[in-house]
Amino acid sequence: MLLFIPTLIGLTVIVFTLLHIGGTTKLLAMYLSPRLTGAARAHVIAELDAKFHLNQPVYVQYFYWLIQILEGNWGITNTPLYSGPVTQAIEIFFPNTLILTIFAAIIIWLVSIPLGVHTAVNRDKPSDNTIRVASLTFYAMPWYLIGVVLIIIFAVYFRVLPIAGTVNPSLVSGLPWYHNGISYPTHILLIDALLHGDFGVAWNAFLHLIMPSVTLSLGVMAALIRLMRGTMLETMDQDFVNFARAKGVPEKVVINLHAKNNALLPVVTNFGYLVAGLLGGVVVIEDVFSYPGIGMWLTSAMLNNDMGGIMGGTLLFGLILVTTSLFLDILYAKIDPRIRY
Amino acid sequence: MSAQKTAKEARYRELKLSMEVFFSNKSAVAGLIIFLFYFFDAIILQFFPQVMPFKHPYSLTPNYVNPIPLPPSKKFPFGTTYPGVNLLTAIIKSIRLDFWLSLAVVVPGAFLGVIIGIVATYFGGLVDEVLMRITDIVFSIPYLVLAIAIGYVLGRTLNSMMIALILVWWPLYARYARSITLEVKEITFIEAARAAGSSKMKIMFRHILPNSLPPVFVQMSLDLGTIMLAISALAFIGFLPAANLPELGYLTSLGYNYVETAPWAMIIPGMFIVLFALAVNLMGDGFRDVIDPRRRSAL
Amino acid sequence: MMENRKHDSSPIVKIENLHLHYYTRRGVYKALNGVNLEIRRGEVLGVAGESGCGKSTLGRAIMGIIPRNAAIVEGKIIVDGVDYLKPLREYFKRAKKFKPTKNQDLLKKVNEEMSKVRGQKISMVFQEPMTTLNPLLTVGYQISEALFYHNPGLLASRRLARARATKEDTKNIVKILKEEGEGERFRQYLKNRNIMGLEDQIISIWRRRELHDLKKEQMILDLCCEPISSMARGYLEQIEKTNLLPKFSKLPIVGRIVKREILKEAYKKSAEFLGLLGIPDPDKVVYMYPHELSGGQRQRIVITTAMINNPNLVILDEPTSALDVTIQAQILELVKELKEKINSTYMFISHDLSVLSEVSDRIAIMYAGQIVEIGPRSAIFNSPKHPYTQMLMEAIPTIEAHELKAIKGEVPDMRNPPKGCMFYPRCPYAMPICKEKRPQLFKVGEDHYVACYLYGGEKK
Repeated sequence: MLLFIPTLIGLTVIVFTLLHIGGTTKLLAMYLSPRLTGAARAHVIAELDAKFHLNQPVYVQYFYWLIQILEGNWGITNTPLYSGPVTQAIEIFFPNTLILTIFAAIIIWLVSIPLGVHTAVNRDKPSDNTIRVASLTFYAMPWYLIGVVLIIIFAVYFRVLPIAGTVNPSLVSGLPWYHNGISYPTHILLIDALLHGDFGVAWNAFLHLIMPSVTLSLGVMAALIRLMRGTMLETMDQDFVNFARAKGVPEKVVINLHAKNNALLPVVTNFGYLVAGLLGGVVVIEDVFSYPGIGMWLTSAMLNNDMGGIMGGTLLFGLILVTTSLFLDILYAKIDPRIRY
Repeated sequence: MSAQKTAKEARYRELKLSMEVFFSNKSAVAGLIIFLFYFFDAIILQFFPQVMPFKHPYSLTPNYVNPIPLPPSKKFPFGTTYPGVNLLTAIIKSIRLDFWLSLAVVVPGAFLGVIIGIVATYFGGLVDEVLMRITDIVFSIPYLVLAIAIGYVLGRTLNSMMIALILVWWPLYARYARSITLEVKEITFIEAARAAGSSKMKIMFRHILPNSLPPVFVQMSLDLGTIMLAISALAFIGFLPAANLPELGYLTSLGYNYVETAPWAMIIPGMFIVLFALAVNLMGDGFRDVIDPRRRSAL
Repeated sequence: MMENRKHDSSPIVKIENLHLHYYTRRGVYKALNGVNLEIRRGEVLGVAGESGCGKSTLGRAIMGIIPRNAAIVEGKIIVDGVDYLKPLREYFKRAKKFKPTKNQDLLKKVNEEMSKVRGQKISMVFQEPMTTLNPLLTVGYQISEALFYHNPGLLASRRLARARATKEDTKNIVKILKEEGEGERFRQYLKNRNIMGLEDQIISIWRRRELHDLKKEQMILDLCCEPISSMARGYLEQIEKTNLLPKFSKLPIVGRIVKREILKEAYKKSAEFLGLLGIPDPDKVVYMYPHELSGGQRQRIVITTAMINNPNLVILDEPTSALDVTIQAQILELVKELKEKINSTYMFISHDLSVLSEVSDRIAIMYAGQIVEIGPRSAIFNSPKHPYTQMLMEAIPTIEAHELKAIKGEVPDMRNPPKGCMFYPRCPYAMPICKEKRPQLFKVGEDHYVACYLYGGEKK
């Protein structure tokens, strides 16, 4: 838990270093709107100079930059998707990404733990082999390809699921709580529609979420099933599992209580990597499904050489991951009585 | 003399057992065979491009006369993709680039990571602590995102993609090497070497390094696939602005706009990425069985 | 009870010509090669041998806890008249090629079937107390499990008795105890009042030595009038009658209440039992996690868990080997005490003959997956017959000066053991026949058998 702060500082140092490779122009690019020209531009540059103390040594600049970041001044992004302050872009795009990852995480948890246990218990049997082959195939598949295959099957062939976006635009046009592709108050269309009692829109938004979240979950799920199977096999060889058997505890309880809970410990410690995988997947998958979230914003920033978007996205993802791992540490301490903070 | 002979025999027996273990795993053998196909493709195109009937072995040949993707036919066994690129030849060319690129990321990444990991564990204390924090920090950014950020700073080219991925990948190996080294460090013969007064450097590189290499090799073979996936993902989202580069991810992205009318344009090049990642994974699992004493003996 | 057991002269466990082989990539590891053994009711059977001789495998095979690559090639283990490993043996006979997955399926069935016997009639203590307990569960829960799955009736009746008993009852009980102790009248009273569930609770308090009488009286007086929710009461009464757990998942809320009541009672019973074994602060210990306890304490917990249902047979698989010498002595004391308190049968596996000499009635010596000598303790120690046993005796360190002799040679490679006597390559008295044929057990004295051609068979 104590590692939380140094990791955060390290994260900002990395982003700051990237901003500073090749001088301060990149830092300026992050805060300077490219539309400004002439005297106005020079004026803003002078202002920034005063704010960031650009004539001082780099480490001094770092602290001024850090203060700006802490104050919520994350610069300006200018992409076809959105142009304006980075923090506002995050406010718009992040809720979409959040609901997507939460959906995916739920699917992953619900499917991969039972499957991992099942494959370990039925080791080397047909069902184990099938699941292993399937999960390995998904593991070896680039995310966008999973997405494309799903699109071809469900959107092109069966025509049951929509391909792109968050909602069918004709459904939401003219709604009082929806303008410019942004819904209010939470910015998560599904929840907003439910809040306003518009179940037609909610259902449509849900349909739009299915394919991206399933795609996202499939790639990560494969890794988790493999991990769970491995730790489960290891745990089932342990003495305490045999001792539980020797006590005459029914086999079901031996597996589900004694073996599974212990096998989950390494899975929980590795869950941070899985969240990292999810966030990485978001970048690709949102692109495939034209789903307006942080990932799509980030790729669009990359294609348009937009410093604010890239660094804002990097910082945001870093923050999310560091916080998640903090929560995971706390969770781990809750599960494992041997660890007490 | 006889002791030497028996030692040799024992080593031979171990080797034979290793082969048996590997070859009894059919999927690992299949993985190896597929891997070899990719490997020879890469070797031939890299060093003997004249063998192949390609005019431009290192770039795609578009055909703007007929840019719309065509379905597989006799002339184009895998069909074509936008803009009129013959998928079969494009894939053969792409495999070369992807293969060497993966190798160019994995080998230096592993080398850097292993050296740093071993040094850190061996010295322990503050060095180790600092290293672990650095890896923590690198891990705290999803690698695709970090690669994008680095790519922006260095310019989005093939080389910067490689550098970005190496920078993202070495901490993985540093951690991995660290965990192995911690195990190996305790093994008695290293104690013995220390007691016998070998220098630290010598212990590290003579004793610890060779013992941590096999698991690292397994990890590397698994990572070849992961890196190829990462490269193709980066290429797919448009990391490489230069068109005409024969790269599987880029090739896949060419067909994206035609996914409804010409699914093969994405599926077929995509399949070749999957095939490679699958093959190295199966192969790596086979290798892992070989070096893991527990799996080695269990049935 | 005791009389009954004495009369029943059939052995608890009978092992006939048991062959157990492990199938591995490096070959077939022949762990047990024709073990013949009887464990008689009420005895302590010591099993000794070098590491790798198959003594632990034997113990686990009796429990049916064997890995999936273990094949029962031949022979049977009859526990309480039932041959549990039969499906495995039949599978091996039937199968052309041994497949661990198939074996595992059958093993699962064996596990299910044996789960009624394990922990109840036979139980086992493992070697390594540090890994035998589940790190994520409280010690109390792990002891309670054995009670929960085998003796829910007892738990329910204990709980119900506390609800049924009135203040009047407990006062009367204290009076009776003071006058006559825990005799027939005490029991009669409990029976008449339908509060038999109080018996062991009261006795466990009454027998505690470290408490003042007044304190004990107070504690007994407190064992009354504990209300139960009326919903749970019916189920508890049903459990008391049938000694079977209802399907908790089918009773949404009540199920949870009943389960919690029973588990709580199991914790109480566990704490009482720990108190009887002289573990300080048992009420606190049951809520601790294994990592908070020392190795010796953990082993005591494991032994408690194995003993809590008064099993007929306890298999102790090197219970002291992983512990410090002082703790070893304590654990041995504990085992001896248990032997006196609880009338059950013990199989004590150890590589340490001096440990066995302290506790066992009969001793079996194992070598390379076979019993080479078996007999009463005195016979084994005073007149060891088998050359291997003789060598083992010479290898025991004693306080008096004597020449320690290591046994020359090594245990044979169990992947292709010698065709004849397993000990032949190391035996100083080896004869030609030893190389050809494996010796059977020959009688050499009162209840004393040796597998060696020096004492019988076709001597040449």
